[in-house]
Formats: sequence, C-alpha cells, structure tokens
Amino acid sequence: MSGVRVMVVDDHPMWREGVARDLAEAGHQVVASCGEGRQAIRVVAAARPDVVVLDLQLPDISGVEVIRGLRAAWPQVRVLMLSASGEQQGVLDAVKAGATGYLLKSAALAEFLAAVRRTAAGEPVFTPGLAGLVLGEYRRLAAVDEEAPTSADGAAPRLTERETEVLRLVAKGMSYKQIAARLGLAHRTVQNHVQNTLGKLQLHNRVELTRYAIERGLDD
Amino acid sequence: MTHVPASGGFELPLWRAVAVFRVASLAYVCVIFARDADRYAHPFAAGAVVLVMAVWTAVTAVGYAAPARRGWPLLLADLGVVVAILLVTPWVMGRAALAAGLPTLAVAWLSGPVLAWAVSGGRRRGAAAALVLGATDLATRGMVTPTALNGAILMLLAGVVVGHVARLTVTAGQRLQRAVELEAATRERDRLARDIHDSVLQVLALVQRRGAHLDGEAGELARLAGEQEAALRSLISKAGPLPTEGQLDVRELLGRYASATVSLSAPATPVPLPAAVARELAAATGAALDNAARHGGGRAWVLVEDEGAAVTVSVRDEGPGFAPDRLVEAAAQGRLGVAQAIRGRLIDLGGAARISSAPGSGTEVELTVPRRKP
Repeated sequence: MSGVRVMVVDDHPMWREGVARDLAEAGHQVVASCGEGRQAIRVVAAARPDVVVLDLQLPDISGVEVIRGLRAAWPQVRVLMLSASGEQQGVLDAVKAGATGYLLKSAALAEFLAAVRRTAAGEPVFTPGLAGLVLGEYRRLAAVDEEAPTSADGAAPRLTERETEVLRLVAKGMSYKQIAARLGLAHRTVQNHVQNTLGKLQLHNRVELTRYAIERGLDD
Repeated sequence: MTHVPASGGFELPLWRAVAVFRVASLAYVCVIFARDADRYAHPFAAGAVVLVMAVWTAVTAVGYAAPARRGWPLLLADLGVVVAILLVTPWVMGRAALAAGLPTLAVAWLSGPVLAWAVSGGRRRGAAAALVLGATDLATRGMVTPTALNGAILMLLAGVVVGHVARLTVTAGQRLQRAVELEAATRERDRLARDIHDSVLQVLALVQRRGAHLDGEAGELARLAGEQEAALRSLISKAGPLPTEGQLDVRELLGRYASATVSLSAPATPVPLPAAVARELAAATGAALDNAARHGGGRAWVLVEDEGAAVTVSVRDEGPGFAPDRLVEAAAQGRLGVAQAIRGRLIDLGGAARISSAPGSGTEVELTVPRRKP
C-alpha cells in the first residue's frame, strides 16, 4: 500500500516531531503539522491530507470545533483522534462530529501505524473504551426518546440486535477477527456493523444540529 | 423543628436585625412614656422599668452577638425579664390608665424574645415564646381588648414567619457554602488535570510509545511509563459529582481498577446506583478481576452498561478458560471460591452473575443488578 498523506495536529512539539518521524519511517507522507486548531483548519485544504491525526485537547478551540472546521474545509478528510487524558465526553462528542478513529496516546507504535492505515482506508478505529461510549450514547438517546418522543424524522437512532452484539464484543476488547469467529460472520461484515453504528450517530447529530439551528433561527 | 447547632455566620444578620428591632422599639417605648407618664399611677416606677428595658436591650444585643452565648440560659432569661416587665406593668400604669385605653408600657418591645426564640430555633420556638408572652399580656391586663388580642396574634404570626425564614436562611447558607467548596475543589482538580495533561502525560505516553518495542531494560522502562500514564489518566479524568444524593457512579468506583492491563469501557454519562449496591457491585467486579489476573494472565476488559432497568458489568479475560462442566463439578464438591463469592454477592443484590468460559477462549463474567425505580 502506498503512503498515506497525514497531517499532525498537536500542541506538543516533541510529540509532533516524534509522530512525524514514525510516520515517515513507515513510508507515509507528513504533509503538514500544526500546534493549533484554527491553524489546522486554515491549512487543511492546501495540504490535502487523507488522514488528520488530531490531539483532542488543543489550546485554542475544542476538538469538536476542529473536526467540524476540518470537514467543512476539506470534506474528504478522515480524522483519527488521539487523546492523552481519556476524557470521555470529549471523545464521544468528537466521534459524533465526524471523527472515525480513536486511540489513546499511549498506544503502541504498531497499533498507531495500523490505525492510520485503517483510517485512510475508511475503516472505523475503535478502542474498547470508544465502543463503551457509543453503546452508552445509544442507550441514553433511546431513554431520552422514551421520555419525550420526537417526530419520526428526528427519532433517536437505534442499534440492531446484531450491531449491539458486535459493539459489546468490541467494548470487551475483542478484535474484529475474534468477533467474526465467535458470531460466524465475515470479517468485512463485522467491520460494516461497527461502521454503521458510527454512521447513524453522526447522521443523527447532523439532523439535531440542523433542527437546533432552525429553531434558533425561527426564534430570533 | 430541631435546633441547628450554632453554625458560624449564617444567622448573624438575623441576630443583628433582632437587635435593631429592639433598639427601635425601645425608642418607641420612650416616646410613649414621655407622652403618657403623667397619666400613670407610678411615673417614677415606670421610668425605672423603661431603664430596665434599655439595659436589657443592651445585654441582649451583646449577648446574642456571639454564637456561644445563644443557648438556653440567655433565651430563658430574655423571656423571664419580659414576662416580669409585663407582670409589673398593670401596677405601674394603674387600672385607670389601662381602662382609658393607653398603650401598655412595653408596646412592641415585648416581641423581642419572640424574634430571638424564632431565630434560634425556628417556627415552633417562636410560636411558643409568642404564646407565653401573649397569654401573660392578656392575663395581666385583666381584660381582653381587641387591640390587645390583635397584638398577641400579630406576635404569634411574627414568631412563626421569622422562625421559618431563619431556617430557610441557615439552610440556604449551608447549601451555598457546600456549593462554593465543591466548586473550588472542582476548579483545583481541573487546573491540576490541565497541568498534568500538558506535561507529564505527554512525556509518559511518548516514552512508552518510543520504547514499547525495545527489548530488555528500555522496554521495561517504557512499560512502567505506560502504567503510570494510565494511573494518572484515570486520576484526572474522574467524573464530577452525581446529581442525586445517596448514589454512587459505578464508573467512578470501577475507575480505580483501570490500569495498563485492565481496560474500562463505560458510557460518557454517570451510571448511578444506590451507594451500598454500587459498592457491592464494584467489590464483585474486583473479585472477578482478581480471578482474571490469577488464571487469565495478561489483559482483562471491563464493560459497564446502563440499561435503565438494570446495570450490567462484564469482565473478560483471554486466559486458558475452562470447560463449563468444571464449574458444576467444583460446586458439587463444595469448593468454589471466587465464583461462589461473586454469585452470592449478586444474589444478595437481587441480581445475577453469569459465568461463561470454554477451554482456550478465556472467561467472561457478566454481573447484572436490577435498578429499583425511585
């Protein structure tokens, strides 16, 4: 596989250099590196990366704002989040805003390089922790929906039984390969199920944002 | 309503207000005295009574200012002094002056103890003091005039209302103080978390990442750095306080088990359970993790799920596992340490433990606790 065009966004120079060196040694191309979110949004269209490796905690703007800005400026970009603090709500918000991968900063080098390749190929990169967060979010949305049912178009997204099953196994630390073996599915099918869980959440988030904007607009 | 222990400064403004009321009503007493003295039976004795009232106003102003002196001795003395003044009033004023409808000597000043009692102990105490003084006032006059009855009822209402407001003020003050303390603690933790995130965590993560694939001592150092990184991370990413009292966040209790080898997956929002249930569930999870560490070897994964009507905690390891019948066999022989302990705890909570394993595919323990609707 040819090298992936990567942009590194992290406010720690030492970390940026280390990651850039690792990526270069693995045959990837580091097309840009920035220490701030606003700067990243400004340069992303010119740098044209396949993957942005993004630290969730930047000094200027929130991770969610960076992801929205990046996707607005360069829609085909894929975002792999790295976080040192394991800040759960932040990770979940970033995923809902469109990030498709998440790793702890302490992940091993091989794991990190594999995550970059998989993100570039459009595969979701889940940690068990992220699967737990996504499961919890679906249950929270379902509970909110039961309390105050919304109209059909804005109804909370639901997981199918199979998707729930797969997500639970990911959250319990099983690899896609192990899950495929356990459930008697193809590797690709497991991957699709995981991808769908993210897709529905992101779509719901966009619908909610639009509705919020319309409501605000009508009120003004 | 019980007496709230003298709790610093929340009541202080109320005590000041009582003192101001006493001074103002004393001024009114002086005006009445100056106007009506010549119609009293014993004007000089009346002057002496007014002097006593002035002295007692000063004594209570100083006395109630200190929390330590706001106890029963001063409260009872306060009531006693005013009752005594009421008792001598008919003699001092004379039947003729009272029958002529002149205001009694103490007028509004006699409400002082009612307010003091109300502030010190709430509605009931205020009402009790008002009843004692009102009854004394009416009894000593020897007749019930509409004005006197009005005065007594107003005094009773004042006692109840002031007592109520006093309790509200103290409770609100205590809540505010708790909120301020909590906010200060949260802010301090946020600051620490930011600092740690900006420096230590980054370095530790980098050390681990650069060295994880090295052999020997360097690899070992990298592994240690990783463990410390995980421990610090869980320390600074603790969730905030729970919305409801008497409940604990299961995620927070299980957070201390997370390490470089134990991964914790949970929702982003709190998973509340009654404190005792949450602790038992955490203890059962700990037992399952101990077991995983002993037999599973290596890594373990914990998943917390909140299904609304129940909370489920799953623990999985990738150890050698065992055949399902071995557990039954062990149970039959009466030697079933860990599994039995875990099951017992869950049954006590009204829940269930499901243990599944197969040779070569690790062990999974699923602990489910029902959540009673509040």
